[in-house]
Amino acid sequence: MSFQVMLQQLSSGMLSTMGIFFLTLLFSLPLGLIIAFGRMSKNKILSGFVSLLISILRGTPLMLQLMVWYFFPFYLMGWSISGWRFPAVIVGFSINYAAYFAEIYRSGIEAIPKGQYEAGQILGYSKSQSFFKIILPQVIKIILPSITNEVITLVKDTSLAFSITYIEMFTLAKQIAAAETSMMPFVIAAIFYYVFNALVAFVMGRLEKKMNYYS
Amino acid sequence: MKFKKFVKKLSVGLVAVAMMATTLTGCGEKKKDTFTVGFDAEYPPYGYMDENGEYTGFDLELAEAVCELKGWELVKQPIAWDNKDNELNSGSIDCIWNGFTINGREDEYEWSRPYVDNSQVIVVAVDSGITDFAGLSGKKVGVQTASAALSVLQDEEGQKALADTFAELNEFSDYNTAFLELEAGSVDAIAMDIGVAQYQIESRGDGKFIILDEHLNAEQYGIGFKKGNTELKNEVEDALKTLKENGKFDELAKKYGLEDMTCLSFE
Repeated sequence: MSFQVMLQQLSSGMLSTMGIFFLTLLFSLPLGLIIAFGRMSKNKILSGFVSLLISILRGTPLMLQLMVWYFFPFYLMGWSISGWRFPAVIVGFSINYAAYFAEIYRSGIEAIPKGQYEAGQILGYSKSQSFFKIILPQVIKIILPSITNEVITLVKDTSLAFSITYIEMFTLAKQIAAAETSMMPFVIAAIFYYVFNALVAFVMGRLEKKMNYYS
Repeated sequence: MKFKKFVKKLSVGLVAVAMMATTLTGCGEKKKDTFTVGFDAEYPPYGYMDENGEYTGFDLELAEAVCELKGWELVKQPIAWDNKDNELNSGSIDCIWNGFTINGREDEYEWSRPYVDNSQVIVVAVDSGITDFAGLSGKKVGVQTASAALSVLQDEEGQKALADTFAELNEFSDYNTAFLELEAGSVDAIAMDIGVAQYQIESRGDGKFIILDEHLNAEQYGIGFKKGNTELKNEVEDALKTLKENGKFDELAKKYGLEDMTCLSFE
């Protein structure tokens, strides 16, 4: 296989990897906020249930969760799972990452002093108004570095999708390496991951700078 | 152009997610005009990625020929080998066709008749000084996870006695890693299928590795269908019979250097 074909193959694999990456962020970032609200709910049953959920999602390997999402509809309900492979990857990743994001959101939300809600109330803001207009902007500023950490981890975690045979970049690298009996594809894969993560870190860095409006 | 492709991929994904409910509940019978072959894409010469980035190999070309005869559309689905049973039982793939050893798995699948005579062998570095099984005593041996070679080495009636003389039996996931370890000296020998061993040794340059003359066992490859799926098995076998008779089967075996190992027979 020529170097050019190898690059082409790995680039097409990179598209699949980026597909997982962007869709996971798209679903897990908002879902995380909802889970965070559940976790902080005054309703003991709800918050207890959500805590258990987060504990399971964080306490079991993502690889195992992917297998559960993919094969359970068949083993439990006897449904056909053809065409379910990619959706299962996205569901698995999104829910797993939402659990992590939820705890990050919570750390940010709980860092805001209660007095700010009270001040909002005195100024005539409703509860949701003070949350979205006063609290959330500050929360985002606080949690951005932690989010960056998770996002970078996500880029590398995409390779776990192969546990349910979704072909992404790293899987292709392994296949090419096997056929060519060469380590070159892994070197290229490493460069791809690094460049993509450098881009992610750059974008997040810019975002942080933009948020840095107090200094 | 690339960006466009990416957007397309994204939207396909979104639609797929949106439709997951329909695909799950709609289920319905799988259309018979596709034939999905599950294979390990890191298993040359039976299934692997060729020069142009297409999946090929002896087994896949054979499957292609069967599909041509039957008018099916071949879907080549690489699978994670550890998950092969889940993939097959859940209907994600129609069969496992990938240098798939029958021996020891007789009752677990609906088997086609055997088409390749295979042996499990031991590969060592030329300069290791190991020339026979006795020389493996106290050595570290590598073997692929969930492979036929591993079952032979764990089987009381197989080569368990030999395996007990090893210092260690290490499991690895793919042959590239295994050969790297062999070259680096962290394992002293690797147990694997003879066809795979020949491909690996040839493509890694002659004179570095050798196959020991003693073989661990003799066994046969077949196509594994889901238990009870005799209908599909018979259809594929019919097609194989035609391919054997018109010479296509032998032609492909020759192309992949397996002509001395085939055993497909309809007598």
